[in-house]
Amino acid sequence: MEQSVNYLGLIPLFPLLGAVLIGLLHVFTCNRTKLPEKVYGILACVGPVLSFVMALKVFVALKGLPPESRFLVHKAFTWFSVGDLHINMGFLADPLSCLMLLFVTFIGSLIHIYSIGYMGGDKNYGKFFAYMNLFLGSMLVLVLGDGPVVMFVGWEGVGLCSYLLISFYSEDRSNVLAGNKAFIVNRVGDLGFVLGMSFLFWAIGAQGFDYLSLKAHVNDPAMTQGVLLTVCLLLFVGATGKSAQIPLYVWLPDAMAGPTPVSALIHAATMVTAGVYMVARFSFLYAEVALAGSIVAWVGILTALLAAIFGMFQEDIKKVLAYSTVSQLGYMFAGVGVAAYSAGIFHVFTHAFFKALLFLGAGSVIYALHHEQNIWKMGGLKNKMPKTYVTMVIGALALAGCPPFSGFFSKDEILYSALATGHFGIWAVGVLVAGMTAYYTFRMIFVVFHGEPRDHHAYEHAQESPAVMTVPLIILAVGALFAGLLNLPAIFGGDQIVSHWLAPSVTEHHPHAGVFIEILAIGASVVAFAIGIKIAYAKFGKGAPEPSFTGFADFAYHKFYVDELYDKVIVQPYKAIGSSIWKVIEPNVTDAPVKGVARLYMVLGTAFKVFQVGYVRVYALYMVLGLSLMSLLLSQSLN
Amino acid sequence: MFADGLFIGFAVLAVLGAVGLVLFRHPMNGAMSFVVTLISLAGLYALLSAKLIFALQLIVYAGAIMSLIVFIIMFLNIQPGDLPQEETKLFYVLGGGIVVLPIGLFLAKIVKSLPEHSTEILGNNFGGVKEVGLLLFRDWLIPFEIVSILLLVSLVGAVILAGKRGTTK
Amino acid sequence: MMHCYLYLSIILFCLGIVGVIARRNVFTVFMSVELMLNAANLAFITFSRVHESMDGHVLAMMVMAVAAAEAALALAVVILLHKHKSKLDTNVFSLLKG
Repeated sequence: MEQSVNYLGLIPLFPLLGAVLIGLLHVFTCNRTKLPEKVYGILACVGPVLSFVMALKVFVALKGLPPESRFLVHKAFTWFSVGDLHINMGFLADPLSCLMLLFVTFIGSLIHIYSIGYMGGDKNYGKFFAYMNLFLGSMLVLVLGDGPVVMFVGWEGVGLCSYLLISFYSEDRSNVLAGNKAFIVNRVGDLGFVLGMSFLFWAIGAQGFDYLSLKAHVNDPAMTQGVLLTVCLLLFVGATGKSAQIPLYVWLPDAMAGPTPVSALIHAATMVTAGVYMVARFSFLYAEVALAGSIVAWVGILTALLAAIFGMFQEDIKKVLAYSTVSQLGYMFAGVGVAAYSAGIFHVFTHAFFKALLFLGAGSVIYALHHEQNIWKMGGLKNKMPKTYVTMVIGALALAGCPPFSGFFSKDEILYSALATGHFGIWAVGVLVAGMTAYYTFRMIFVVFHGEPRDHHAYEHAQESPAVMTVPLIILAVGALFAGLLNLPAIFGGDQIVSHWLAPSVTEHHPHAGVFIEILAIGASVVAFAIGIKIAYAKFGKGAPEPSFTGFADFAYHKFYVDELYDKVIVQPYKAIGSSIWKVIEPNVTDAPVKGVARLYMVLGTAFKVFQVGYVRVYALYMVLGLSLMSLLLSQSLN
Repeated sequence: MFADGLFIGFAVLAVLGAVGLVLFRHPMNGAMSFVVTLISLAGLYALLSAKLIFALQLIVYAGAIMSLIVFIIMFLNIQPGDLPQEETKLFYVLGGGIVVLPIGLFLAKIVKSLPEHSTEILGNNFGGVKEVGLLLFRDWLIPFEIVSILLLVSLVGAVILAGKRGTTK
Repeated sequence: MMHCYLYLSIILFCLGIVGVIARRNVFTVFMSVELMLNAANLAFITFSRVHESMDGHVLAMMVMAVAAAEAALALAVVILLHKHKSKLDTNVFSLLKG
């Protein structure tokens, strides 16, 4: 069944080695003559590109196998072995991880190439690429790991790298705080993941703790509905942290503090897709409990709604995109929640293209305007930056779900699955969110590129970005245009290549609800898109002044004060508890006994000091007294 | 019977000498008293057929070590004021006796539990120079050599300690 | 007769202990230690006679050698003490007092 290949482990190894090499070079040269930036740039791109080549090799190898036995495994070494727990540093490539692998390495490589241009002139150029390579390497470990534990290694790795990269411009305190926030919020999710993993091991881990063994034992008597539900929900808590869902989404908008390529990497290729991937990976668990799936789907679609509301009122170009990511992630969870795993993963796939494109385009705009991110200071840029404009419009159309761009097919697939499985509520909210998505996306496009320039000084100096930045944009634009065709549904004459490709990896049932339902779903999506874009054009198409928010808009602009609420309800009490422990419990409860013991010995010492008279003969007397007492005692027993 | 009589005599002398050592105020008197004990002990060794030890006790102990002690006592030219004032000496000695008594009684109890054995004088093959010498240089050679090193070390130590004040002045 | 020799050994040993703990004169204390060594020697010789083995004799010789070494060192210390304080009192030195 399984075929062992020894090059799987190399895929994550290339970027990780690159990270070490670049990191060492940076450390040893940062205080002396600096290496030219080209050296770092080329070194940084070698790892991802090699990984992509290897990923293609894996794809070809998988393609050559019959569909039901498309598994490639590679056990690098035994990591540790304690009691029943035998963990191999093993890698598994199946259709699911292969798909992830392909687009993660592809988009990762493009973002690395783009970064060569974007980060030019930064004094920590080397450090940046070391972190980026580490980030990509961790993500590849996450994707390729053959069990939850190896996945967790990558899981923590991307968490760490997101912290490092979000607070990359560490001179500014708010960036560091944003990094801390991302890390701490992710820790909350990670706790859920660890607990879920522990439960899973406790239940069925003894017979082998990798996906294939777990899948084989999912119907063991130990896996009752209660255990399954607990495991699924705990794992989902981990996913909400990593993939920014309610209630742990708050870190992602703040993560915009990092350099724009980092945002692109986080949003498109690595990190946030990890949660969706994980749920799909554990689809054999979620398929067993319908309730867990429903919870996942509802959390996802509500997140999509909430983020879309926030997205409509943001003024920072990157924050708009950030909330759109949260919103799209919500769609993905809705998809995997209604057991349409291939649809969810397909949306991850298409989203990677158009979101990377949008972020890199936004980065291009920001780069041209000397790090200006407020959309109300932009305007009319379409003449100055034609390539960026065209590619970004393609990305925006894909995001908004305009047929035949990629986003349309994947989003429609999810909504159709929701409808076909009887989740009308989810479908209705999804359609609403689709309209809102179109609105806020084109609000951004119109404000930034159309109308009159608002800041003339910046406008005069704006110019098209260099080729190293625009070429990745164009490649991604092609991807955003055509990636959707890979999974063309039957109604358009396609045969859903991606779904069939993924079928051996995920446990799902394809609903067949009939042509009417399918047309209804498509029609609703298109109408929502059209309405959204119409409103956006009416309000912003001809150029509009910066609006001042009142009432509900103001409330949404401030993100419903959720951050403040978390701060009041969780952070401040936590700090208060911490300081009360420090000031009350520590001196009185933990320190007091320790100090008491010390004081006791001091008192005892002064008491026993009396015996230390300093005369040698008295010491001899003590000895003799002791002997004497022992003699007395022993005489009693000696009869 | 003669041997018993000798034992009683030596034993009484030895105890008297020891009591004198403990009680005399001036160390010279104590040393002389201790010599009596040592010589009595030599006699007891002879009664126990230990000919070589009898001789060594007289020559090395009573002769060499005690003369060294007496020499030092005289060398220091002790004035009455140098001696410690021990008005409560008797009280201390009595107290010490009471403290020690349980130890003595305990040891005596152990001795009592041992089987009695005659100590008549043995013939030529016991305790002479030849027999002890053979034993010493065969079975006990390594301890013997170690003791020689000990003596050397103490010699060096004594020279350094006693000569210290002279050299630093 | 063996018992009598051992009783005598015990008596001499106890007198030695009393001398060490009750007296302050350095020489007396030192000679009391010698007395204890002699008491032990007597026990050695007695048991040697009882078992008709001469190992006890050898041990007694060793003890004498140790006594000689001790005498050499102890007297050197006494000389130092006398030079230092012009006293023969053990109570003069109480540096270990707490």
